[in-house]
Amino acid sequence: MKCKNELLYFAFRNKKLVIGLTIFMAFLILALAGPLLTDFEPLDYTGMGSEPPTPQHIFGTTFFGQDVFSQFVYGLRSSFIVGFMGGGIATLAGLLIGFFAGYKGGFIDELLMMLTNVMMVIPTVALLIILAAYLPYRGVEIQSIIIGLTAWPWTARAVRSQTFSLKQREYVSLARITGFSSLKIILQEIMPNMMSYVFMVFILQFGGSILAAVALDFIGLGPTEGISLGLMMQNAVHWNAIQLGIWWWSIIPGLAITMIVGALYFMNTGLDEVFNPKLREM
Amino acid sequence: MGNYLRRKIFIYLITFFVAVTLDWIIPRMMPGNPVDAILIRVARMPSQEQTQILRSHLMKSFGMDVPIFEQYLNFWTGLFKGDLGVSINYFPKPVTDIIKDALPFDLLLTVPALLLSWFIGNKFGAFAARKKRMDNWVLPVWYVISAMPYLWLGILLSWTLGVNMNAFPVAGAYSFSIKPSFSWGFIVNYLHHWVLPFLSLFIVQLGGWAIGMRNMIIYELEADYSKYMETMGMPQKLIRKYAYKNAILPQVTGLAIQVGLLVTGALTTEIVFSYPGIGYLLNQAILRQDYFLIQGCFLFIIIGVLLANFAIDVIYVFIDPRIRHSVGGDAA
Amino acid sequence: MKKAMIVVLLFSIMFGLVSFAEQYERNETLYVTGGLWGPPVNWNPALPWDAVAGTNGLVYEPLYLYDAVHDELTPWLAEGSTWLDEYTTEIKIRKGIKWSDGEPFTAEDVAFTFNLPSAVETIYYRTLFNKMSSIEATDEYTVKITFNQKMYREWNYQLYQIPMLPKHIWQDMSPEEILSTSNEKTCVGTGAYLLDTYAQDRMVWVRNDNWWAKEILGLEVAPKRVVVVVALSNNVVLGMMMKGEELDLSNDFLPGVPTIKRAYDIHTWYEGAPYMKPDATTFLFLNNTKKGLEDPEFRKAIAFAMNKDEIVKRVFEYMVLPANPLGLLPSDGWMKFYHEDIVNEFGYEYNTAKAKEILKNAGYKDVNGDGYVEGKDGQILKYEIIVPFGWTDWMESIRIVAQNLKAVGINAEAKFPDYNKYFEDLTRGDYDMALNNFGAGITNTPWTLYRWLFDVVTGDVAYNENFERYAGSAEMRELYKAFNETKDDDEAQQYMRQIQRKFLEDMPVVPLFYNGLWFAGNNGVWANWPAEGGDNQYYPNTYQGGWVLGGLMMLTKLQAK
Repeated sequence: MKCKNELLYFAFRNKKLVIGLTIFMAFLILALAGPLLTDFEPLDYTGMGSEPPTPQHIFGTTFFGQDVFSQFVYGLRSSFIVGFMGGGIATLAGLLIGFFAGYKGGFIDELLMMLTNVMMVIPTVALLIILAAYLPYRGVEIQSIIIGLTAWPWTARAVRSQTFSLKQREYVSLARITGFSSLKIILQEIMPNMMSYVFMVFILQFGGSILAAVALDFIGLGPTEGISLGLMMQNAVHWNAIQLGIWWWSIIPGLAITMIVGALYFMNTGLDEVFNPKLREM
Repeated sequence: MGNYLRRKIFIYLITFFVAVTLDWIIPRMMPGNPVDAILIRVARMPSQEQTQILRSHLMKSFGMDVPIFEQYLNFWTGLFKGDLGVSINYFPKPVTDIIKDALPFDLLLTVPALLLSWFIGNKFGAFAARKKRMDNWVLPVWYVISAMPYLWLGILLSWTLGVNMNAFPVAGAYSFSIKPSFSWGFIVNYLHHWVLPFLSLFIVQLGGWAIGMRNMIIYELEADYSKYMETMGMPQKLIRKYAYKNAILPQVTGLAIQVGLLVTGALTTEIVFSYPGIGYLLNQAILRQDYFLIQGCFLFIIIGVLLANFAIDVIYVFIDPRIRHSVGGDAA
Repeated sequence: MKKAMIVVLLFSIMFGLVSFAEQYERNETLYVTGGLWGPPVNWNPALPWDAVAGTNGLVYEPLYLYDAVHDELTPWLAEGSTWLDEYTTEIKIRKGIKWSDGEPFTAEDVAFTFNLPSAVETIYYRTLFNKMSSIEATDEYTVKITFNQKMYREWNYQLYQIPMLPKHIWQDMSPEEILSTSNEKTCVGTGAYLLDTYAQDRMVWVRNDNWWAKEILGLEVAPKRVVVVVALSNNVVLGMMMKGEELDLSNDFLPGVPTIKRAYDIHTWYEGAPYMKPDATTFLFLNNTKKGLEDPEFRKAIAFAMNKDEIVKRVFEYMVLPANPLGLLPSDGWMKFYHEDIVNEFGYEYNTAKAKEILKNAGYKDVNGDGYVEGKDGQILKYEIIVPFGWTDWMESIRIVAQNLKAVGINAEAKFPDYNKYFEDLTRGDYDMALNNFGAGITNTPWTLYRWLFDVVTGDVAYNENFERYAGSAEMRELYKAFNETKDDDEAQQYMRQIQRKFLEDMPVVPLFYNGLWFAGNNGVWANWPAEGGDNQYYPNTYQGGWVLGGLMMLTKLQAK
């Protein structure tokens, strides 16, 4: 208990973490509560086209007269879903495969790394295309799963090399000599040493998934249903929003993505410092 | 050591085989086929009979009238002869020629962006680590920069520097009014067009590397050996040098991974700046189911990524003594 | 020291090689975009769907051009043609035309071109060839073609579709070569331009200074070079247009042109709405085999429910016009067959009350109280409207269509599958409703439209006809065939009346709006752009197949500033 309190204490004292978390939570709350704050459906035509922000449409309207604010809050939801699901899947898969490969070494390592490499060289778009064949209408969830299933290789590789290094450290060798089982060594010796790393990875994967989704949306492989921040940007680009001075349509989603992912990086560094007393600012 | 390398090469060959096979299968699992997509473009000939004649002709000329397994064998036979087939979308240009023409633009754009951002990012990240002012003021800016989607930065750059200030062109690899030649005029013109797409890739990546390096350096500085060195009274500069040597390891791994991710980054940049390159070709090929061009592009990506990874694997053995030891033990 | 020496040496070598890059004169070069979506790789007129736009029109030329603005077949390589009897036409070739390699163009070349399918069996005009019983060059400037069936309207269409080929070059090519060459090295035509150079992101045509029309017709194309720019997104195109002198002509759909037109001095065909000339009719296809949609009354209710003006306003900022009830393009060639009285009697307009009434009278009621009508047998009716994902203007359009349908109690939802899936569903008849206009582009005769809408589907798949699987298509086919087989316009009108009446009574598809010929000109370098009421009244189309509709003639009227 004491340990936990201590962590919390340092967590709240860490500026990076607090700032990052505040921004992140603000967007998360907006995503959760946003739909209650707007009377408009994101894709309905509720105003004049290209209307600048007004009290009724606080973020203005799109070229066609859809409410940008409601698109924005629903889009935020999609981004968080992609982040949680995509990032979660990628982290989990990467961790398991990386740990196992790194710890076991030898043939299993080669096999798993081969799988990793194969996954790494198959572009995400290719997988999306096959799935598109069977699921002509993709939602955000499908997109998240695809991103998750294709984003784990770098995590696996990094975790593997971490495990490799840790395995060589004295205390692991000591445990091995004293006859601990592999699982026990992983759980008791290696895992705790990598906890901060796991957090870091998840947060980076969270941000990475959001960015990957934006890129896929932009090249026309995004969800075919609903709205996302990437789709908003794609639409804004297709309809020349910047050139036509409809800045509220194109700047807002891009800025939100930048802020969310930026906040994640802050949190990542902050958490790192919390978990590793040595890293705390002097 | 030789044993280790031989085994690695063997494994990589299997990986290559599996990946190429998968990439051969993937486009063929899509609904419909590329020939049907051509037929809609033949709208000028108003006759069903004509459409059928054309269909059978096209199926035959693209070798799609033989059983699927035979098509697969033909693919490998062609591959060993260096023949990747003829593009369906860009008929009758051979896929190898298409890639050969497009690839230089990508390489000249992405490789400098990747290597320069890696190099400068690492240096700066290492420099900024554990320096209060840097850490508190400069790095936060980079957190934000590296969080930007490439395409968003690209669009902003294109609009502000390109259209509004008219300082840089917004489309093409060189001015549409000149013929390429080996001359200063052309080189300057090329570089002028290169700046914005380069920046949109470079800036975003720079932040990522710098942050990664900064974190790693701090880890290393807090590691026992650094503390030990410190208590031994060694100069801070030397300690940092050692820390840098260790911290660079994960960054090297990162470099290999980025090679694989470059394709998507290049693709969005190409679209935003109408820049020629393989990314857009691949995207179009996928949307139009151009089997042969998809395969060709994938093949290059596969070879690129595998070579990069293999290089990293080898380099790792040399730069990380712990792994060298571990590997030696395993191989023995 | 050594290093420095090497650097100095390298620099001096490089400076030694310095020369100025060849730069095209700005006021002799026309920069266009819209017709090219990837690297140019093919200039083969025998593969018109693969060939770079301009291959037919700028390099190779057909016997006639079609002037889409004035609805005229303009004699081009042909001086004229006459029907000797019902089945035989005689084509007179202009004297003094030369291929770009200096060889004279003669009747032999024309006969060779039309005879080519006998050797090259899978060439694109094989079925046209099958309808001919003999093709012969009776003298150096006369070709006589005898048909084995009548096809007057279609023949007039083919006259401007098929570019003439140089016999002296093509006779030495094998059929396989003809169907697989890129034709880069042997790109010899009669046209106003030659293949100059190309790269990944551009195609450059250079003027043929020995072009025959200069002497014979007194025509001259103004730009020395036409540079076709590959632009990967309309965002880039608009940026280039706004920069002023980087791009002269765009055929890309550029949202917002009405907004920025004045500020950036961008030229369009009309000064005010609709800005663009109508180019193709976009129809709402209803799958006539689906429950509910199989009933003409139900389909008619859909026609009454469509608020075409809303689409025009919201999606296109008035850049397109709502379609007339028949979907005939407002071009003379089609509108001369438009029968106002039939439209008045059997037509429809936007009227939700009327739509609901039709549904009610036909027995479609909301039984279960969900707000939407059920089928006559009480079965739930629910439809998906599809357009390809990413086709943003159509995506927004069907959202409005879905709203319109819901407003009269028909449950419909907009869906956006990927293009391949959309296309497969459409061609296999495996969809509910869809937008399409692939075969409804501007031509010399509405025969092309009706063939595309109503040809009887023979297999499971229909690539280019009757996506709606209309039950009355056999009857319609007889009518448009009869239309095609008569030269007499009065008789033709009678067939058209019947087609149009049946169309409005059965409403197999619902015309929505006319996709525009997106054309934006930049006033920076070139002047005298095509415009309503101006001196340059040519169809500014640079797409594949568009240069023969007016694109080429437009170039003869442009003026450098």
